[in-house]
Amino acid sequence: MEEILVVDGVTKRFGGLVANNKVSFSMRRGEILGLIGPNGAGKTTLFNVITGVYRPDEGRVIFKGEDITGKPPHVITRKGIAKTHQIVKPFNDMTVLENAMVGALFGKRAHQITIGQAKEIARRSLELVGLADKADEFAVKLTLRQKKMLELARALSAEPELLLLDEVLAGLNPKEIEEALEIIKKVKVERDLSIIMIEHVMHAVMNIADRIVVLHFGWKIAEGTPEEVANNPEVITAYLGDPRYALRFVKRKGGGE
Amino acid sequence: MDLSILAINLVNGLLWGIILGFAAVGLTLLWGVMKVVNLAQGEVILLGSYVAIILFTQYGLSPLVGGLAALLVGLVAGFLIYWALLHKLVGKVERITLKIEMSTLLAMFALSIALLNFYYYAFGSEPRGFGLWSIGVPYVRVLDTTIRTNILLADALALISVAIVYLFLDRTILGKSIRAVMQDAQAASLVGINPVKIKLLTTVIGIGLTVFSGFMVLLFEASVTPEIAHKYAPLSFVVVVLGGLGSVVGSLVAGIIIGLIYGFSKVVVSLFNPRISDPVALSTAFIVLILILLFRPEGIFGRKR
Amino acid sequence: MAAGHDNEMGTKGSTLEHYLKSPTLLILVFVVLGILVARIMGMSTLDTIMTVMYFMGIALSLNIIMGFAGYVSFGHAVFLGLGGYAYVLMVYFIKPLADLQNTGYGLGAFLVAVLAGLFAAAVAASVGAAVLRLRGAFFAIATIGLDFTALYLFKAVVPELNPEQFFGAQIILPADRIVEKDLVFNAMFLTLVILLAVNYYIRKSPFGVGLTAIKEDEDAAEVLGVPTTMYKIVAFTLAGFFTGMVGALFSLNGGGVDETLFNLGHSIDMIVMIVIGGLGTVLGPVIGSLIYFELYDLLLVHYPGVNLIILGVIVAIVVLFFPEGLIGLLRKYRVRGVRLRDVLE
Ligand SMILES: Nc1ncnc2c1ncn2[C@@H]1O[C@H](COP(=O)(O)OP(=O)(O)OP(=O)(O)O)[C@@H](O)[C@H]1O
Ligand SMILES: [Mg+2]
Repeated sequence: MEEILVVDGVTKRFGGLVANNKVSFSMRRGEILGLIGPNGAGKTTLFNVITGVYRPDEGRVIFKGEDITGKPPHVITRKGIAKTHQIVKPFNDMTVLENAMVGALFGKRAHQITIGQAKEIARRSLELVGLADKADEFAVKLTLRQKKMLELARALSAEPELLLLDEVLAGLNPKEIEEALEIIKKVKVERDLSIIMIEHVMHAVMNIADRIVVLHFGWKIAEGTPEEVANNPEVITAYLGDPRYALRFVKRKGGGE
Repeated sequence: MDLSILAINLVNGLLWGIILGFAAVGLTLLWGVMKVVNLAQGEVILLGSYVAIILFTQYGLSPLVGGLAALLVGLVAGFLIYWALLHKLVGKVERITLKIEMSTLLAMFALSIALLNFYYYAFGSEPRGFGLWSIGVPYVRVLDTTIRTNILLADALALISVAIVYLFLDRTILGKSIRAVMQDAQAASLVGINPVKIKLLTTVIGIGLTVFSGFMVLLFEASVTPEIAHKYAPLSFVVVVLGGLGSVVGSLVAGIIIGLIYGFSKVVVSLFNPRISDPVALSTAFIVLILILLFRPEGIFGRKR
Repeated sequence: MAAGHDNEMGTKGSTLEHYLKSPTLLILVFVVLGILVARIMGMSTLDTIMTVMYFMGIALSLNIIMGFAGYVSFGHAVFLGLGGYAYVLMVYFIKPLADLQNTGYGLGAFLVAVLAGLFAAAVAASVGAAVLRLRGAFFAIATIGLDFTALYLFKAVVPELNPEQFFGAQIILPADRIVEKDLVFNAMFLTLVILLAVNYYIRKSPFGVGLTAIKEDEDAAEVLGVPTTMYKIVAFTLAGFFTGMVGALFSLNGGGVDETLFNLGHSIDMIVMIVIGGLGTVLGPVIGSLIYFELYDLLLVHYPGVNLIILGVIVAIVVLFFPEGLIGLLRKYRVRGVRLRDVLE
């Protein structure tokens, strides 16, 4: 199958800190790729490199066979990559619908659609994520969960081919997580999407991802199926260093999911 | 080029730059600590000038008393400005967003409209000053030129004030808390510093110093008109940006640099066309402002933000 | 934001109908007609009408960058000055342009003003690319710096152009270089109509949506695909262009130009009108400028001397208590189930 994204030797430094260190991986069209790693591993940074927010110090990002390294974010978005923010960034004084319209107007079909069409696209995205009844509210009034879903709706409105989800499940309760996962599965099929998701909710990502890439201190320390990764000693050590996740991981290994 | 002319201009630039640097100290504190850009900077400076002028002309008090009164009035004005304008906008917020920043900008801007027109109303547009008053002899000879004693007095006062402010911020607990808030408001409130108290204190000190500097500006300029607000305000912005937000010493040094640049470009332009030396020299200061903003927005002495 | 009516722009055929139903558009048309009627019936003096149009013009110009994109340009008077000087210098020194400005019922003056506006726009575009990298107060301060740079440069250079005739930086146009005020009115009127149309179009277009997104969160907007840099520069350039045109015609109307056109006071006028009326809408600056004009007059008549002090207090009250201005206040309400926000914008 065709490779939709290739990350090739990406290094990103912040002063002395190396947030991504020669990270390479590739993903096929239609895959769901989990991106995990302890706090500060460099996951969000990698998303920012892929979407052009940061220019990598070394390495390349290739999307659908085209080198997009260093292109500005808005250009990359238009090529078909959309991202949700880990720290939500709603346009507070715009309505929920208008928020999603921005995604539509400047996404894959930027400059080809009218305001009216954008509104339709935005409505559909809101329906998908379950925000349709909030369409006319100001975004500032939403709860955190709703703001996360708005992030998702905005990204979907861009009609991307590759969707980057940065911890959309964080802060949701188990029932909401299930719902969100259903939504993600549904849109993936419906929209023929490829998805990379950063996730700390381990059972969720293990459950939904086809393959998983693990970052630690900027390095890629493992890559493979959920099973392979879960049994990788290096990964376990990395997570054991992070008390927040060690427990969950161990629990899972004990088969208690 | 006649070197003595250059020297005279540079000395004048230096003497003016010290005043300019001190006039911007209050601005840099407000901006650095509270993200409040005092767009009424020029008018607040003039408050000090006019307080001293009234006391001198109406009540016959010595300008030195007037200077002290300016400082006191300034502290009270800071108190009023905080509670009337700033508290509602920045008092309780932890993180000052761009939108809040714009609101404070507009609020201070409203103050500048009111104050400026109050001056026109109360004092008219004619130059006002201390007339022939001077401390001791009116002039001293330096190099081939004379310098007004009042200017030296103003510079001495400015330098002493900067030193006191610096020591206050560096040595006292209150001063240290102000600096702590400047560095990280959230962390500061975690360790128990009351942010409202610090913001109030910063406004009182910042506005107080700015008003006080109006006295020095008056000594330097010999007389002031309301219009002078529009000269000192933008120049203060240049100084703050050059010196780095929140940096008292940076402000003084930047003031001196601007003063010297002004003096120097004035001499250079005079070589070609003496009539236009003053405006060209002033525009140089603003070109410096824009360049600094673009290439080193944290200022020459500031840390990276 | 273009919200509310479902069939808006999307479905063809209903477009005209929609526009007719839009109260915003009706109000705008009403304002324009009002100016015309006042002019033709002689209800106000020509000077008064010109002043109103001037106020409305500068408010609507600045609105493009400040209202929609949220970049408060405190030095926007710089473009007023650039346009004014460009116009006056052109017709002073270039005979064919001086002849042109008297042709076509004001169309000639309009065209020369377009040239002056283009000059201002060129400056806006070139410095915009640089200063628009700055945000918030830094941008505001940078434009002030720009204003003063231009002010002092013009003060230095203009007197040198014709030392015998110019009084410092002041240029008074000789009798054969001015245009009858009736024609200046026509040119200004045309400019204003275009300016209203441009504002309205921006409000209803993807471009306007993009600018609003920039105002709300520039980084998020960029990631969502808004070409933020380009949009900001275009908005700033448009704002500079129209401010320049208004400055040009204002100067022509006054028969000359001097450096006071760069005064921060003019920036104050623009900002206050937008703030009072309501940021980021089309009606805001229109209503704001009418209120400002009335207020200005009223205060001047009833409280001469302290009028501007009171104005400052009013602005402070608006900023502190009604930060979204008049239209912002109204937009929160519903009338018979219809959100005013949808119809007022
Ligand atoms: N703009 C920046 N400037 C400086 N350092 C940064 C910047 N962004 C991230 N970092 C640093 O780079 C490292 C990686 O950060 P990143 O946000 O990519 O981690 P992450 O894997 O997403 O962590 P988390 O799970 O907490 O979201 C961290 O040490 C972080 O402090
Ligand atoms: Mg992260």
